[in-house]
Amino acid sequence: MVIQEGMSIQRKLEILSMAARYDVACTSSGVDRKGNNTGIGNSLACGICHTFSADGRCISLLKILFTNECIFDCKYCINRSSNDIVRASFTPREVCELTMEFYRRNYIEGLFLSSGIKISPNHTMEQIYETLRMLRDEYNFNGYIHCKIIPGTDPVLVEAIGWYADRLSCNLELPTAESLKKLAPHKNRKNILKPMRQIQLRRDRHNEYLGIDDAARNRLLTDSRINIDETDGPVAANIIVPFGRTLPAKKRFAPAGQSTQLIIGATEESDYQIMTVSEALYKNFGLKRVFYSAFVNVNQDESLPSTLDGPPLLREHRLYQADWLLRFYGFKTDELLDNNKPNFNLLLDPKCDWALRHLELFPVEVNKADYQTLLRVPGIGVNSARRIIAARKHAVLDFNDLKKMGIVLKRAIYFITCNGRMMYPIKIDEDFITRQLLASNERMPFGIDKDITYRQLSLFDDVNFQPDMHDQIKILSQA
Amino acid sequence: MNTKKIFQCKNSMDGIFTAIYEAWSSGYGHDNVMIEELCEKNDYSNMQLFSEYITVNTDMEKALKVSRSIKQKISEEAFEIVCRVALSDYRQKGDLIYRFLILGFRSGRDIVNHISNDVVNQMLKINRNVGNEVHHFLGFLRFSQLENNILFSVIHPKNNIISLLAPHFADRLPQEKFIIFDGGRNICALHLPGRPWIISDIPEANPDMVYKLKNYDNYKDLWKIFFENIAIKERINLKLQRNNLPLRYRKDMTEFQS
Repeated sequence: MVIQEGMSIQRKLEILSMAARYDVACTSSGVDRKGNNTGIGNSLACGICHTFSADGRCISLLKILFTNECIFDCKYCINRSSNDIVRASFTPREVCELTMEFYRRNYIEGLFLSSGIKISPNHTMEQIYETLRMLRDEYNFNGYIHCKIIPGTDPVLVEAIGWYADRLSCNLELPTAESLKKLAPHKNRKNILKPMRQIQLRRDRHNEYLGIDDAARNRLLTDSRINIDETDGPVAANIIVPFGRTLPAKKRFAPAGQSTQLIIGATEESDYQIMTVSEALYKNFGLKRVFYSAFVNVNQDESLPSTLDGPPLLREHRLYQADWLLRFYGFKTDELLDNNKPNFNLLLDPKCDWALRHLELFPVEVNKADYQTLLRVPGIGVNSARRIIAARKHAVLDFNDLKKMGIVLKRAIYFITCNGRMMYPIKIDEDFITRQLLASNERMPFGIDKDITYRQLSLFDDVNFQPDMHDQIKILSQA
Repeated sequence: MNTKKIFQCKNSMDGIFTAIYEAWSSGYGHDNVMIEELCEKNDYSNMQLFSEYITVNTDMEKALKVSRSIKQKISEEAFEIVCRVALSDYRQKGDLIYRFLILGFRSGRDIVNHISNDVVNQMLKINRNVGNEVHHFLGFLRFSQLENNILFSVIHPKNNIISLLAPHFADRLPQEKFIIFDGGRNICALHLPGRPWIISDIPEANPDMVYKLKNYDNYKDLWKIFFENIAIKERINLKLQRNNLPLRYRKDMTEFQS
């Protein structure tokens, strides 16, 4: 391990931002807070993107590691202890100065502080706690702070940090406990779920005390029966640590809630398994967001899949789409996938795919259907469904109106009627509609589309592809 | 032949509101009047034949009456929409607002839901467009620190939005002296600690003058270092970047300046 003494702040920032880039969560959303007129900073619930990096991802927060020294040896991680890379650590004051000066110049919306594990989880989290305390109490910083909780951190520290941060996150990393054991031998499922539970209970308890109903948004997901697999024993149901200080009445514990991250494509779990875990996290742990990160084999580790052809971006995209369906469209994982069909269709988005398998429910009459039904129509999103409901109070809508309201007609026309008529005489036939939908190119994040038409279709990227199929094709091509 | 009466006004919220007041109370009838605001940059107007031009002098009292009746007879929400449209760079926004108000005074607060009406739809579209630009600039605006600790920012927005940006930054940076300068329109928003922000015209302003004042700001380099290193090399996607952050914003952004 290379440790340099007296490193410049430029060099440290270079190393520790590069080390932090694989963490995908960079949102500043979830909390509305006015400026306090004395310090600096406020926060908007919608979040603000300050710039976009060359990979097209939003930069909202100063995303850095406190240190990239690490005693853990997780196979997927660039900072694992067995890697021979330059190591660096910030001091709490350096992080505060950077955050304040960047914030004043409107470069960032706040701080995202994560870290490698130096000496022990508690040692590292103490430093992070000190940073957050300084930033809030000494520098009077009132902007957004997202703080990572390292598995194995003492609950007392989690409690203390939660009063300073807006959002906390413990990364689940891998969907199953076995994969975690295999790839991250120093972590275990229980140590990750424990702080999650603690944060959830703490927030619930305090919100109840303040009379805030924060669960409203996740109510869509309530009657799910899925339980997260707790192989390492159930997570203690009651771990709230009393905080020694009296708090200002309005103060909230992690007001923007908690999130987590899953690595996609490093292990063999199906989309069905991943979505089941996500659904359980939303439902049982009250998470605000689950982030999916297409696996990049940064260490060229032989035991992990190669990503020389690029990370599985399309798969990641499909998972995000499905995630949205769970959180805003009232879908359940079991409706989208099952054991016979464990992975998403790479060619069609999850909602179209679902609609094609349920043609008996269509067409839907736009002037009559309720909100939930409208939401299930491909081409109609949350905004357009709301607009339809508002507009049809005053006028009977026709296709022209729908177009004006931003409904994606090239997808919707197969599934809707206006005044009992379809736009064109269309045969409600699965094959026919599938062909039409495939022909009208789906709009995808730029760059993904360019690659997928040819490359993602290639057999090696498709998770449904089995090695023995590979052989069959070889035989076929030789014949 | 019935000649059209065209009420010509200054391109400002008060100017447009005054013209609406004049046109409405003129008694010519809604179909026979038109409102035309002078073009933002050079006061150029594309004159029409067979019509009579009436120059409207901005009158704060009349403008205030109009804004008061919008708030009372339609809604606060409608008033906000009208304001944003009045600040947009849409040609003939004055007349569009006039048509919108005819409908609005008839149907009240519900007017914003008449999405299938073309006038309302157009208003909402412009409103969204201005709102989006404001939201973009909340993030894309960059301050640089001058020698005297003043934070200075130059932007070139399409719509006239600094009056919509200033409240956000005044709330966020209450202890700072800052200037947001609209380079295309030569107007700026000024803020001093403990005082309300103001908008000021500076016709002779030259942003280059201010650039010369600036001493070397170490944090610019640090920001560039961060910006370079945070991108995942395996996922480089310049098209996606360009879609999310169009080129027109970049010339005023620290991380894209060499």
